[in-house]
Amino acid sequence: MGGQTGFGAVPAGDDGSAGFGADWEAHVYALAAVLRQRGLFNSDELRDAIERLPPAEYLGTSYWARWLAAIETLVAEKGLA
Amino acid sequence: MSERAGARYAVGDRVRVRPGDPDHHTRAPRYVRGHAGEIVARLGEWALPDASAAGIIAPETCYAVRFAAADLFGGGEHTVTVDLWESYLDRA
Repeated sequence: MGGQTGFGAVPAGDDGSAGFGADWEAHVYALAAVLRQRGLFNSDELRDAIERLPPAEYLGTSYWARWLAAIETLVAEKGLA
Repeated sequence: MSERAGARYAVGDRVRVRPGDPDHHTRAPRYVRGHAGEIVARLGEWALPDASAAGIIAPETCYAVRFAAADLFGGGEHTVTVDLWESYLDRA
């Protein structure tokens, strides 16, 4: 929520890039990329699943934690787990 | 990327983003909904995100639409250009 009033600035590294704050965040990104390439979901389905998170969870979790929660939602809904 | 002969708007047309808050995924940002802008480019056909979020691939023409920042945010001398799908727009 960086940039939104009351949420502070968008976090960025020394070089100004957002990047990954931890290895697990890169793993989440890679997992989403693989599942997308294999046709399990498209980018809009992922965005939709992020937006369907309960509002308190959406506001209370980090960007990549939201991606992970959305992947879990889609995997469950599509009967893959 | 292809361009459908029946694209509704042309460069220079004034359009207004449909207001409202759909109960599904959309790529029409809240800050432009209800505001009028000018078509500055036709970008070809792309899958409508509102449909593809539900697993339905429905291509339609996408446009670059330029808004005055002052109209959107109450100040600023600059413009803001947003890519918007045809079904988000009405003629202004």
